[in-house]
Amino acid sequence: MLTRVRVRWIALGVAVVLVGFGVVLAVQHRSEPSVPRLVLEHGQVPNVDMKTLDGKTVNTDQLKGKTYVVNFFNSWCIPCEQETPALKAFYAEHKAEADFAMVGIIIDDDAATMRGYVRKQGISWPVAVDPHGTASLGFGTTGQPETYVISPDGVAVCGTLGPSTQAALDTWLQAARNGQQCV
Amino acid sequence: MKSRKVVPWLALGVVVVIAVVVLLVRSRPDNSPTARADRLGQQLACPVCEGQSVADSNSPQSRSIREDIPRRIAAGQSDAEIRAYYVSKYGERVLETPSNSGLGIVAWGVPALAVILGAVAIVLAVRRWSNTPRLTATEADEDIVRRAREAEAEAGDR
Repeated sequence: MLTRVRVRWIALGVAVVLVGFGVVLAVQHRSEPSVPRLVLEHGQVPNVDMKTLDGKTVNTDQLKGKTYVVNFFNSWCIPCEQETPALKAFYAEHKAEADFAMVGIIIDDDAATMRGYVRKQGISWPVAVDPHGTASLGFGTTGQPETYVISPDGVAVCGTLGPSTQAALDTWLQAARNGQQCV
Repeated sequence: MKSRKVVPWLALGVVVVIAVVVLLVRSRPDNSPTARADRLGQQLACPVCEGQSVADSNSPQSRSIREDIPRRIAAGQSDAEIRAYYVSKYGERVLETPSNSGLGIVAWGVPALAVILGAVAIVLAVRRWSNTPRLTATEADEDIVRRAREAEAEAGDR
């Protein structure tokens, strides 16, 4: 027969186990992040060498010394299309600045389709192809669009997962130039 | 006569030894670059999907990782170094099995603890059951036995 004291001990044991599992689940619960991991960790941008749609070479190491923006996108992503006007306005505002650069990197799309898309959208910044996903992997992308603002010393200081706005891009560029980090 | 009894045991011993040798040989991992790449693909979780390994997923990230793994193997990186690289990019969630540090210890430790506690509980329960008499004699039972013995003794005296 189970005595009352023993029942209490069993109930206490079960409660402790349940609370333990609850704590573990609560700690492991992930809300969808809005900032890329590379930015959260203030990570160094990987050295990637890519060809642009018009055959030129883009190398992230060669961009060191500039504050630059990297935008991962493709032709079939609706949020990418939605953020294009903001990117165009932002690029038009800063393209003449000597210490500024901007690169689009194609993620999961082919060069031929992207040539037509870039022409149609009026995108005038260099767009690089990444056929093996080397840049995407190096940045640790988890989708598209993703935007990174890189400081002159090659650190990802600001950025977002999902579409960005012109105001946010301006703020991030200023922060990167001032040696600040967004997170 | 004695040797006849030993023969089956010897045969059993030989079979066990052969089975152990075969198991050991077959459980040695194939370390060819292709086998390592396949194994790593199974050990890594698709970083942008739920419940799929890199080997099974068709997401762009998984495809890139599948292309990247052989390059890293060819560059001389160990399996641990390759796994660590992807953890640095996507976090611990990219590992199919929990790591043996941090919260991963809980995932490994809880089942082991449950097994140990279960085994201890079974041992304690068995010991208690074996020490407990199945029936306890009541005073009435003892009285019956006493009277029966006395009657037996009296009968013996006669």
